[in-house]
Amino acid sequence: MNAILECNALSKRFSNINALSNVNLTLERGRIIGLLGPNGSGKTTFIKLINGLLVPSEGTILIDGKKPGADTKKIVSYLPDKTFLPEWMRISDTLEFYKDFYEDFDLNKATDMLKRLQLDPKRKLKSLSKGTKEKVQLILVMSRQADLYCLDEPIGGVDPAARDYILNTIITNYNENATVLISTHLIADIEKVLDEVIFIKDGQITLHSSVDDIRMKEGKSVDALFREVFKC
Amino acid sequence: MLAKLFKHELKATSKVLVPVFLIAFIFTIVNRIILGFDIFHGVFTFIPALTLVGYVVSLIAVVVVTFVVLIIRFYKNLTSEEGYLMFTLPAKVSQLINSKLLAALLWTVLSFLAVILSLLVMYLRLNDFASIIDALQRGWTEINRAFGAKTILFIIDVIIMAILSIISNILSIYVSIAIGQLFHGHRLLASFGAYIGINIALQMFLVIATAVTGLLLPENINDTALLPTIIFPCIIVFYIFLNLLYYWVTNYLFSYKLNLE
Repeated sequence: MNAILECNALSKRFSNINALSNVNLTLERGRIIGLLGPNGSGKTTFIKLINGLLVPSEGTILIDGKKPGADTKKIVSYLPDKTFLPEWMRISDTLEFYKDFYEDFDLNKATDMLKRLQLDPKRKLKSLSKGTKEKVQLILVMSRQADLYCLDEPIGGVDPAARDYILNTIITNYNENATVLISTHLIADIEKVLDEVIFIKDGQITLHSSVDDIRMKEGKSVDALFREVFKC
Repeated sequence: MLAKLFKHELKATSKVLVPVFLIAFIFTIVNRIILGFDIFHGVFTFIPALTLVGYVVSLIAVVVVTFVVLIIRFYKNLTSEEGYLMFTLPAKVSQLINSKLLAALLWTVLSFLAVILSLLVMYLRLNDFASIIDALQRGWTEINRAFGAKTILFIIDVIIMAILSIISNILSIYVSIAIGQLFHGHRLLASFGAYIGINIALQMFLVIATAVTGLLLPENINDTALLPTIIFPCIIVFYIFLNLLYYWVTNYLFSYKLNLE
């Protein structure tokens, strides 16, 4: 089986600014991985490259051995750091939309999660708060049986109580062969669920290690190490 | 995949357009009845005047709103935050463009048909049928006299040109939006700029092309048979080329230079 994600000398430039430079990275299946870095370090650029919203300037990126395209989008479930659902839709419309386009979408699971969060499927997205919209988006994304989940700042806009629910949703809703890539700078909140971390700084990967190794070798938490590495 | 995309495209656009078409339909029926009965007299004559204004506005709305809704849909669905949803569907960029193009073509043709149908319903009397058939027959004879055996070809040419010109109108807007989204701020303004730029370039090209052909061709061409056999096919080839160019650029920009907000 191919690694779920492989990057070789991957670079992305925006008019002479290096958003990512020379990234070599292999992600295995069945892990929860934190993509950690300060604002503007290249996290979103990296995730957009995985999802084919950007094209590499140099190097290659392979998902399950294939370049990003219609085929890889079938197996990657992506949560952007934007409210991306059309405002005129009802929650039920978005479920139908996902069911139509993604064969791996589990409608029952999504309906259950909505019920547990007491979200009425008849409500229009227009009428929901930003945090509630984010919850709906997360439910849609996590109701897919994908091989790779890319979650860009999934807990940025919600309150701490909802954060716990969301993290819980993430770790209980992926199968053991799937990999979850979570980008964030709120490390303390998600540290306990991570298997691996990737530190990214100025478009370069400075560390890729398992969380256990960090605790053993460095003798500190990921949060403490992050504060040390990225000290301003 | 194209069928699914097309279905959702129709669903999204119908939300606004079906009510607009429905309002025009109701105004047509109401006005037809009011015109037919002539029951308002004295101070009440303002009522038919008012409903007539409503009728005219609703017909204009069918064409204008359809046009505007289709542009906004394309712009918003692909270049705003909704683009994150659309461009990560397991579909090719070309399929996204095709589904929107097909829906836009369908709605444009429907809006024209709706206006024609409404005018017929509104102003047609039973005894008009004879004169309309008569006029059509006379028109047909005229075309036949001018083009003889080439009449069918003439009509096919005209239909193809009409469809290609609608497509080229739609695609020229798509390519303008695809260019506009390259910019970081004022993307809508940049799209307008691109549209104006494209049209100026096109006009200049046409002026030059007409002048050159005018110089090359012998003077005093009076053979109308040239229209369906040479001139229209040239225009068709030009439109096909233009549409392919618009399409290719749009597809390229959205595939390789996507710049979502």
